[in-house]
Amino acid sequence: MRIKLLFSESFRSLAANVSTTVAATMTVLIGMFLLGLFIALGSWAQDFGETQKEKLLVKVYFCTEDTCAKAATPAQINAVRQQLASSRLVDEVTFVSKAEALDRMRRQTPQLVENLSSNPLPDAFEVKARDGADVKLVSASLRQPTKPPGVEEIKDGDEVSDQVVNVARVLTLAFLVATIVLLVSSALLIANTIRLSIFSRRREIEVMKLVGATNWFVRGPFMLEGLICGVVGSVIAIVMLLLAKEAALPAITNRLSTSSDIQAWPFVYVSAIILVVGITVGAVGSGLTIRRFLNV
Amino acid sequence: MQESDVHTQVAPSDASTGANGVAGNGGDPLFESVEQPIDPSSGTMIVFERVTKIYEPNVSALNDVSFAIDKGEFVFVVGASGSGKSTMIRLLLKELEPTSGRVVVGGRDLTRLKRSRVPLLRRNVGCVFQDFKLLPNRTAGGNIAYALKVQGESKASIRRNVPEVLSLVGLSDKTGSLPEELSGGEQQRVSIARAVVNHPPLLICDEPTGNLDPDTSVGIMQLLYRINRAGTTILMVTHDREMVDKMRKRVIALEDGRLARDERRGGYTSE
Repeated sequence: MRIKLLFSESFRSLAANVSTTVAATMTVLIGMFLLGLFIALGSWAQDFGETQKEKLLVKVYFCTEDTCAKAATPAQINAVRQQLASSRLVDEVTFVSKAEALDRMRRQTPQLVENLSSNPLPDAFEVKARDGADVKLVSASLRQPTKPPGVEEIKDGDEVSDQVVNVARVLTLAFLVATIVLLVSSALLIANTIRLSIFSRRREIEVMKLVGATNWFVRGPFMLEGLICGVVGSVIAIVMLLLAKEAALPAITNRLSTSSDIQAWPFVYVSAIILVVGITVGAVGSGLTIRRFLNV
Repeated sequence: MQESDVHTQVAPSDASTGANGVAGNGGDPLFESVEQPIDPSSGTMIVFERVTKIYEPNVSALNDVSFAIDKGEFVFVVGASGSGKSTMIRLLLKELEPTSGRVVVGGRDLTRLKRSRVPLLRRNVGCVFQDFKLLPNRTAGGNIAYALKVQGESKASIRRNVPEVLSLVGLSDKTGSLPEELSGGEQQRVSIARAVVNHPPLLICDEPTGNLDPDTSVGIMQLLYRINRAGTTILMVTHDREMVDKMRKRVIALEDGRLARDERRGGYTSE
């Protein structure tokens, strides 16, 4: 079918069925707004958990040419690993290379990494204590009697109880489950709205088939309509989320005075997810629903 | 062709039944009963070959029905409700598959026709229904244009064909009217115009006058008659006894799914 005809047919039936068009768009709007909110909150909770977990770690930074006279040798690094691994207090030792550290930083705070010409970050160990309360003991044992050779700095973790981390983990999981539930239920809700609108037009579909319209000739405009509803609904949802972010978020975070290094996913990602989901549900929803009415 | 062609024909029989509302022609019959002038040698349009249709679980709608209709014929199908008339039409449009037997339309065996080809079949078979089946949010012209758009006709062709067919059915001034603004008879004319706009060789009418008053029905029948004279085969299911008796065309009567009667120039009931 020619594109122009497809669009003109879609727009005329959108205009002719204003109430169902509005209903479908509103459904998409509400579903996508909630989805965006949950993704934002969920990713914030996840980041909060990560940050707390981070605080439980003892970090051992090795020398680089910049910080000490010369970089730590592999032998020195191995010696520290062995010392840590033999300790009863230590649960897990993770090696974070210079490159990995830079990668991480690029993900978390891209604006800081932008202008770097070389990688100034050191190799490091992240040491997880067997018990959150023992963090100080782990770092102390490493410092005594003196810092091992090749180590530039040992950073203590804060004494945060494991419970905070657990709470954050549960919170993340709860948001993940809620997001999935929301995704499924809003898909069903949108599909149902589309079903109603198609059901109210089944006579029209019957007539189209009787004058010899192919399935795709009937289906095309319906799918494009669903897609348009999806786009419009998602875009409005994104605008509303943006407003909420700009207006409401500063007020809340000022009061909480939490550190600003806890970040939800970037708004662009959330917007992209919303848009893709909204469009898919709109177009595929109508395409699938109409199948039942095509067998005239 | 002028409408007066039909009026002025003089036929011997049935003058007594009268035709109210036909302007100035008193007791004239509406339709000539001479055989039509178009060449009848061009073969068959519809063949039903021992067609049986059984709905689940075992309600039999058509039972071993066989007949053939030639190109250019005008055929009435009569019978009580539930005698299988609707099933026959749905078989002709391949909305249903026969349980056994063959349905051939225009030389094509429908039982072997692929589903993807069904839209092509429907474009070659015009349909007129008792309830008009017009798209409610399109104008008279828009409804007709839609049938052409579906086939990928060009804008130019649509602009040319729609006024032409509207004038054929006598509704040139109603192009921009929505179905709800038209009378029943006018809606049926639009629906007929839509059915014939792409010149299908076969026109199937399912009680086209069922919802119309007698005077309006006469107008519709004249229109169908003219279309038939122009060469289109017409199969018309009807309950309109008066009309069938007056027209003296071929009559196929169904009774409980069986072919009860097939008369060349029959009446609504057998004499």
